[in-house]
Amino acid sequence: MRVVIAEDSVLLRDGLSRLLTARGHEIVGAVGDAEQLVAVATELRPDVCVVDVRMPPTHTDEGIRAAVTMRATLPEVGVLVLSQYVEEQYATELLAGNTSGVGYLLKDRVADVGEFVAAVERVAGGGTALDPEVVSQLLGRSRKRDVVEKLTPREREVLGLMAEGRTNAAVAQALVVSDGAVEKHVSNIFGKLGLAPSDTDHRRVLAVLAYLGS
Amino acid sequence: MSMPSPVTAYDGSTGDAPVRTRPGILRAPFTVRTWTDTIHLVLNLPVGIVGFTYAVVFIALGIGLTPLFLIGLPLIALTLLGSRAFGRMERARASALLDEHVRAPAPLQRRPGWTGWIRSGLTDRTGWRACLYLFLQLPWGVFTFVVTTVSWAASLSAITYPLTQPLYRRADMPGAMISGDGPNEPGVDHYLAGPGLVSLTVAAGVVLLFATPWLVRGMANVDRVMVRGLLGPAFLSEQVRDLTVSRGAAVDTAASDLRRIERDLHDGAQARLVALAMDLGMAKENLNASQDTETARMVSSAHDEVKLALQELRDLARGIHPAVLTDRGLDAALSSIAARCTVPVRVEVDLPERPPAPIESVAYFCASELLTNVSKHARATHAWVTVGHENGRMYLIVADDGAGGAATGKGSGLAGLTERVRGVDGTLNVDSPEGGPTRITVWLPL
Repeated sequence: MRVVIAEDSVLLRDGLSRLLTARGHEIVGAVGDAEQLVAVATELRPDVCVVDVRMPPTHTDEGIRAAVTMRATLPEVGVLVLSQYVEEQYATELLAGNTSGVGYLLKDRVADVGEFVAAVERVAGGGTALDPEVVSQLLGRSRKRDVVEKLTPREREVLGLMAEGRTNAAVAQALVVSDGAVEKHVSNIFGKLGLAPSDTDHRRVLAVLAYLGS
Repeated sequence: MSMPSPVTAYDGSTGDAPVRTRPGILRAPFTVRTWTDTIHLVLNLPVGIVGFTYAVVFIALGIGLTPLFLIGLPLIALTLLGSRAFGRMERARASALLDEHVRAPAPLQRRPGWTGWIRSGLTDRTGWRACLYLFLQLPWGVFTFVVTTVSWAASLSAITYPLTQPLYRRADMPGAMISGDGPNEPGVDHYLAGPGLVSLTVAAGVVLLFATPWLVRGMANVDRVMVRGLLGPAFLSEQVRDLTVSRGAAVDTAASDLRRIERDLHDGAQARLVALAMDLGMAKENLNASQDTETARMVSSAHDEVKLALQELRDLARGIHPAVLTDRGLDAALSSIAARCTVPVRVEVDLPERPPAPIESVAYFCASELLTNVSKHARATHAWVTVGHENGRMYLIVADDGAGGAATGKGSGLAGLTERVRGVDGTLNVDSPEGGPTRITVWLPL
């Protein structure tokens, strides 16, 4: 897997490089700001970019804007955004339009190195990795309240776990229920939201989240 | 006419403090007060000439240059600043000669930057008042100089007339001429001569001698009023305005300090902790593979600790000033605090445009604290955050269906919150009867 890292803290940039290299991935570029990120990604076409939200010059939302740009111009490049805080507004911007190969995680999640590397790999493969907090914020702020309020707590839980990019089997394992039960929850969610079920896990979750964020 | 009385009299029966009385009319010409007042009134003329020239020349130059080059505006601002310096000298003169001790006005509140400096200079009322003082000082100085010198000179020359009258004889005149064309021209001339007229002249001189001190005192009192009114501290309304400006600056500074602290935390401690957590995570996985159980347990618990520390630090930094508030405004920033609340929260924000940064910051802080209270104390099942605007002000309502009983007095966080809201001229109203529901309304200026 070919990875580009955009992170202005040298400490974290080196740490991420070491971690991903140790797991057998190739760091093809490591940059410190959003402008270089877009340039390098356009030139090298990596499988995935790991992007910090706050970067020079203004240290606000450069990473999100660069990620949105890349998702429009380089659809085959996966983008995993790391942030100190997860914000529903940023998630909505990220999920708008193209719905594959996207991730948005709290920076803390890199501490669980196994899961983090799995998330990077998933996004590189066109999957998703959304922080559970993103989902709870999207549900909390959705303009489609009457719909959201129809979801049971269990269904919300299932939705959150799927948004992290888990398969039905993995969701079933996490909740200690059967695969069939998960499938039933999923079809209930789609039914309540009035969305047509589709066959790919990440696509249907993103459809739900994009719908909630709109 | 009253008898002369001492400047200071004691109340004989008691040992009370000395009672100051007016100097008797007969002593008046010989008191120090009269003479310091006189010196002050005479000095008014040279001071008036210098001050008036300064003010008129530079203000006129400033106004004249403004349409052509904007350099006129800083020139006027500088002139007003100079007027303040003149005012300082004039207060010192009044203090030394008039015994009128006027407090110095508040120093100029400078706004940051060049344009801010010019703006604060141009709107400096103290400077304008001092400038007005300088304008008035010339006509007033001419008047006081003439009246004072003529009064004293006339009274002294009239009293000493019997001594000076013989000098007129050398010019073939019986005395000072009142009317006519002089001894060398034909016609009838009238002179101050003869015992009757000379006595009358002396008497008039004496009357004038004792009247002049009162005239001097009257004019000096006008000077006192001018110094107090034009060079003294601002009126109460202006003081309030100045305080509002300086408090606004303090609030702005506090808000930008908070943003800076949050940034420093993000770039420093948080980044290091994330790197540490990542290293510990890698160590943990490697140890699990090598089956060294004791060490693995220690590393694993260190790993958990550092993750907890990260979370606490994140919550702390978030409470200080979230970056998303700066980037995307209140609506976006409220999402995450609503999501973290333990009860479901409905958030509705309707604002025509973004409020000023300090107001936004206070509103966010209020919502954050109030929702924390809901999580901790309210025993609620639902909460609502509503933000809107009315008549140029914004409101933030945080309501819940919990147990109620919240009050600002109980040493609760509400008291601190009220202070914070009042710091920006807002109000916080608590409606929380025992048994609920609770509704807290915050009004903030836009």
